[in-house]
Amino acid sequence: MSAEPERSTEEIKHLRRCINDLVSVIALPATWTGGAPSQIVGNSLDALVSMLSLDFIYARLRESTGTVFTEMVRVGSSWEPKLQPEEIRERLQPWLENDSEKLPVIVREFFGERAIALVPLQLGMLAEIGVIVAGSQRADFPQQTERLVLNIAANQAAIGLQESGLLRTQRQIASDLDQRVAERTRELATINEELIREIGERKKKEEELRVNEEALRLAHGQIARSEERWRSVFENSAIGVALTDLDGRFIAANPVFQKMLGYTEEELEQLRFLDITVEEDREANWGLVQELLKGKRRQFQIEKQYRRKNGGAVWVRNSVSMVTGSEGVPQFLMALSEDVSEQHEAKLALDKARSDLAHVARVSTLSALTASIAHEVNQPLSGIVTNASTCLRMLDSNPPNLEGARETARRTIRDGNRASEVITRLRALFSKKSASFEPFDLNEAAKEVIALSGGELQRNRVIVQTELASELPSVLGDRIQIQQVILNLIRNASDAMSAVDDRPRELLVETEREESGTVRLRVRDTGTGINPEIEEKLFDAFHTTKGDGMGIGLSVSRSIMERHQGRLWAIRNEGHGAAFLFSIPCSTNT
Amino acid sequence: MQRPLVAVVDDDESVRESLPDLLGEFGFDSKVFQSAEEFLVSASVGQTKCLVLDIAMPGMTGFDLQQELKVRGQSIPIIFITAQKDDTVRTRALKQGAVGFLAKPFSDTALLSALNTALGLR
Repeated sequence: MSAEPERSTEEIKHLRRCINDLVSVIALPATWTGGAPSQIVGNSLDALVSMLSLDFIYARLRESTGTVFTEMVRVGSSWEPKLQPEEIRERLQPWLENDSEKLPVIVREFFGERAIALVPLQLGMLAEIGVIVAGSQRADFPQQTERLVLNIAANQAAIGLQESGLLRTQRQIASDLDQRVAERTRELATINEELIREIGERKKKEEELRVNEEALRLAHGQIARSEERWRSVFENSAIGVALTDLDGRFIAANPVFQKMLGYTEEELEQLRFLDITVEEDREANWGLVQELLKGKRRQFQIEKQYRRKNGGAVWVRNSVSMVTGSEGVPQFLMALSEDVSEQHEAKLALDKARSDLAHVARVSTLSALTASIAHEVNQPLSGIVTNASTCLRMLDSNPPNLEGARETARRTIRDGNRASEVITRLRALFSKKSASFEPFDLNEAAKEVIALSGGELQRNRVIVQTELASELPSVLGDRIQIQQVILNLIRNASDAMSAVDDRPRELLVETEREESGTVRLRVRDTGTGINPEIEEKLFDAFHTTKGDGMGIGLSVSRSIMERHQGRLWAIRNEGHGAAFLFSIPCSTNT
Repeated sequence: MQRPLVAVVDDDESVRESLPDLLGEFGFDSKVFQSAEEFLVSASVGQTKCLVLDIAMPGMTGFDLQQELKVRGQSIPIIFITAQKDDTVRTRALKQGAVGFLAKPFSDTALLSALNTALGLR
């Protein structure tokens, strides 16, 4: 029983030790959690060199790139001097470099004088992770149990390394991923900001564009409407409108202007305005244009005559102004041209009428008022007669009073000369043709007088109204003398209101047909009225209520009316003022 | 023997010059005034036996003077002389009590006749 039990005891002891080692080896990975490869391998190497009482143990790990290796070595306490990993690698080089599948089971090498059994263990199925080499100088190395422990430890390490590598890879991937996500996020954020900014800008630009387009559309509309309006004003203007360049050549002319001149617009474009201005107006007209061009005046008015295409003349009143560009540079001339031919004719007629009336005023004053004429003529005649009579009486007396006769004869001659002068003056006054009786329209005659008195009435702040009967029959008489009467009545009415300030100064001129085959004209005022005391004297010659009057107006007027088989009278108004009326026979009645 | 006083009121100088000589030939004394106002303030009003009076004058007319004298109770016979031949004036003058109405120019005999009438009435 000595050898067998001894051996069994030894064996059991050995096995127990092996199992303890295995348990320790299996427990190793618990400390590796999250560990680095060097920690895993180092930890394994430390455990193995200690458990198996190895002389040394060597590990060589392939880095992830595959071409770089990490080496480490652990040496047992009995090994002196220290062993460097390079020495072991050099011994194993021949087969370490070879195909990992061909790793030998055991290699015996001398280190110094010591024969060392080297046991290579692959990490990973094909040693793709690395190699561990355990070395011991014991002859029985490696026992089966030791090989078991070594293999399991190597497997454990390989698994740990793989897990570590995976973890690292995962972490790396996760980190990379995080980084990429972060980068991408940053990129996205940047892009997003960029986009937001771009969107904002685009929106802004779109809004600006929209606003601009709207403004443009409105502006176009306004321009179109404005052009349309101005074109319409130009085309439909009631007065002529013409544009010329600065030399006066026509650029455009509206229909009224064309019609007024008898030229088409095309024909006008071949002409300067001076070409169609009558000779006598050209110099003054061009002078005014020069003042415009020199900036001496902004515009001017001129009344002148154009020569129409058919040779006739037309009176126009032109308002000419300079049209300047944006920088005040003269561009063209614009003339607003009004045909005033009729007004001009009316003015000429009015001037003539005024002259006629003025003449009649003199003529009628003298011819109708014999008293006035007599006063002029008879005064010296009276002197002549008296002096001559006295002279004769003095000569006839006994003895003759020669001295007195001489004196009275001298006076007679003097008065004779005076009378002659008076007659010369009167002949001059009467030189115009005498009054003629013809049918005429009393309304028209009255209107002319009202127009003639317009300025004076306006100055006196008199409001004139007319109520002229329509279809009034014509009357027979001297139109100008009747107008003189109307003028006289209107002036009297105006004068009678000159002191009136507490009520409107109203003048009403009315005409109406009367039953008796006559026409009546009434001039009614709101003046001071007729004082009862002077009512009788109203139509007397030399009676006047005016400070500067002659007192012959109403007297003359009544004489004129009487000579027309008419009459003139006055009535007091119920309110203020007076009315003077005359009636005159209709022409068909006589 | 005192000669009767005839006053002449006329704004016309030739009348004032010529009439006194003629009136003198007729045997009257005379005084001339160039306006009605001048006559009214003179001392002659009371002595005047006849007034030869122009109608148309600046200021008071002949008619105005006639009226004024009537108001004052002075009944002096008046012979109007006027350069107007207007019948309305003549009618009015005579209606208001004038003794005579002579249109200029008048004859010396017409004046003398009117003066005699005027003074004979008195």
